[in-house]
Amino acid sequence: MYRKILTLAAGAAALAAASLATTPAMAAGKNICVSWKTFQEERWKTDEAAIKAVVEAAGNKFFSADAQGSAAKQQADIEGLITQGCNVILVVAFDSDAILPAFQAAADAGVKMISYDVLVEHPDALYVTFDNVGVGRLMASTMLEKGRQDGNFAFIKGDKGDPNATFLFQGIMEVLKPNIDAGKIKNVCETFTDGWRPDAAQKNMEQCLTSVNNKVDAVISQNDGMAGGVVAALEAQGLAGTVPVTGQDGDKAALNRVALGTQLVSVWKDSRVLGKAAAEFANMIAEGKANTDIPGVGKFNSGAKGVEVNAVLIAPNPITRANLNDVIGGGWVTKEEVCAGVAAGSVDACK
Amino acid sequence: MAAIDNTQNPGMAQEGALKRFLRATEIDSRMLGMLGALLLIWVGFDLASAFVRGGDGLLGGTFLTPRNLWILLVQTSSIAVMTTGMVLIIVMRHIDLSVGSILGFTAVCIGAMQVYWLGPALGVGHPAIWIITLVLGLALGAAIGALHGTLIAYFGIPSFIVTLGGLIVWRGAAWSVIRGETVAPMDKNFKLIGGGISGITPGSIGATASWVLGLLICAAILAVIWNGRQRRKRFKFALKPVWAEALLAAAGCAAVIGITSVLNAYYWPKGVVDRWAQQTGATIPPEGLNISFGYSIPVLIALSVGVAMTFLANRTRFGRYIYAIGGNPEAAELAGINTRKITLMVFSLMGMLAAVSASISSARLDSATNALGQFDELYVIAAAVIGGTSLAGGLGTIYGAMLGALVMQSLQSGMTLLNFESATKDMVVGCVLVFAVFVDQVYQRRVK
Repeated sequence: MYRKILTLAAGAAALAAASLATTPAMAAGKNICVSWKTFQEERWKTDEAAIKAVVEAAGNKFFSADAQGSAAKQQADIEGLITQGCNVILVVAFDSDAILPAFQAAADAGVKMISYDVLVEHPDALYVTFDNVGVGRLMASTMLEKGRQDGNFAFIKGDKGDPNATFLFQGIMEVLKPNIDAGKIKNVCETFTDGWRPDAAQKNMEQCLTSVNNKVDAVISQNDGMAGGVVAALEAQGLAGTVPVTGQDGDKAALNRVALGTQLVSVWKDSRVLGKAAAEFANMIAEGKANTDIPGVGKFNSGAKGVEVNAVLIAPNPITRANLNDVIGGGWVTKEEVCAGVAAGSVDACK
Repeated sequence: MAAIDNTQNPGMAQEGALKRFLRATEIDSRMLGMLGALLLIWVGFDLASAFVRGGDGLLGGTFLTPRNLWILLVQTSSIAVMTTGMVLIIVMRHIDLSVGSILGFTAVCIGAMQVYWLGPALGVGHPAIWIITLVLGLALGAAIGALHGTLIAYFGIPSFIVTLGGLIVWRGAAWSVIRGETVAPMDKNFKLIGGGISGITPGSIGATASWVLGLLICAAILAVIWNGRQRRKRFKFALKPVWAEALLAAAGCAAVIGITSVLNAYYWPKGVVDRWAQQTGATIPPEGLNISFGYSIPVLIALSVGVAMTFLANRTRFGRYIYAIGGNPEAAELAGINTRKITLMVFSLMGMLAAVSASISSARLDSATNALGQFDELYVIAAAVIGGTSLAGGLGTIYGAMLGALVMQSLQSGMTLLNFESATKDMVVGCVLVFAVFVDQVYQRRVK
């Protein structure tokens, strides 16, 4: 295995050396580089555009490599980027353990690393990601601010095998706990949903409504897909639009429901925001700023190995009827998609 | 479906007389056992939920309420439709692991056709949309099934492998059609297939039509029994005693009328009635307005598929060939049955049934996602097996498998109603599957 990686690395280094002749590595601007795990997925293209814009606006140069879903190729990619003269490398790790030797190699060569979106537990790397526990907190706080502060709450959780479902629930409960303890909020149904499947969520919601004879005042659904199932179940009881429902992901169908009023909020992790922030940090680090001096930086040690790293957790954006304009445009979703079937004049963003 | 419903009160027969009673009425004792198990589950859940929260069910719980039973049948319909095809596949000593993925793929294609193609082309809500997409969806399902069937029958690849491949391929295909997005909303007429309410049009036929249908089914039961008796006379077969025939007819009709009245006792929820009054300008009397749901469209689809498939399996040459092949493939082939062609057709039929279920599920959810139907293959196979289909081939009934689907869904819905943890639910369902097959084995040995 190691031999294979070494040969690959050597090959990549040779390639990189060849390309050195054509890339002005020692030009005035710094070189900011990205190693993608798989650039085939739609979303990373959005991230790259955002990163590239910020990097080039600061007079720096942008390079990227695509590991095409291979841990070995990503290792070689990073070796190559180091040789190529990158000052800072952002890495979306395909395998966060297998990539550690490459991170060490970069640290040894004095190249700064940012683990982008995926945690790599290397003490010298800066971790930039969305605040995933915060998503749960945001769902709950939006519910309290714009939905309901009291009454019967139903909780439709994600797959029981996915740690994210539990993280989200922790965040949700943190915010709701005072009202639960005060007896204002009653937890009437709480259920995991196999595979986060919308149709399973629909069945769970139907059973929940039957068990309490429709006396449900609010539904905390952990993502937009399941929220779709929840709203279908509410619709069948003529309750859609009167019972606020949460979600996350900024699904097109969910944003349409937000405009229609059948879903209260979709917590949106805008990858452009993440890319922009990470690129700004990369520029700062390239100029010599230490990881600990980055604005908003904190310590993070909730990874599998418990290694403490410096991290910036970006707050996601809770999209409600009031700020639908934030998602419209920018290539994510069109006004027509968001506003399909919305009564004229009822929503500002659809005017 | 007549055969299913005609066993309401045999429990009253004396233990010693039970055998004589079964012989006289020719009721499948295995089916009787399953109905007993179902009854036990229902009563158990209603009692348990009475303790937890209380409700207005038959025994004070929330399970045996018209509302829960109505929803239970709708929730069962998608799996029940597919399991009728799975019985025939398992009877032929094959397996189809791909049904859940075919469901997902066809649902996504139907959704994409409605939202991205026909919606903009014909105008959203055009009355032809649901027919075109339904027909194309069924054709697509049948084509995928035929492809699997060809690989199995003519290229000799084991069905386990072909459909395992299909399980992975079609799930991936479903993702790539819409890049993992959710397609919504479905066409407003198509939505009725799922039994939900589209605006103020419910996906069910209402009280009057339900009673008419119930009486028609009742008449059909009588006709089938009468016809059977005449045919036995003609061929000089032994006749059932008249009291047995009368009992079957009475029990069957009583069951149909009972089911009809339960389904009619589930009324439109208040929110929908209000919306209906608002849009039609009707005034609601102060004591409220009770509008019955009655038979829902997905349940009617499942019932029709069940009747059609039973007819296909028992009364057509195609169906008898399937059982012949399952009993002994070599003998069937030597007897001149084109086993390859039959295999191809059965898999194609299975694909089409998966597409029917895709229509029901996506219409019910009012959207199509690539996760739709995930793990359904397991539930479909489990329902068939619980319903008495032998994995060794040759044995299995359509109505048994559909009852098996109802048993499985009853367990799941009941446990959700009681707020069971989802891990517990999985463990119970798994144990029930193994236990059902164990009981069946013991029974088989006893009979021999």
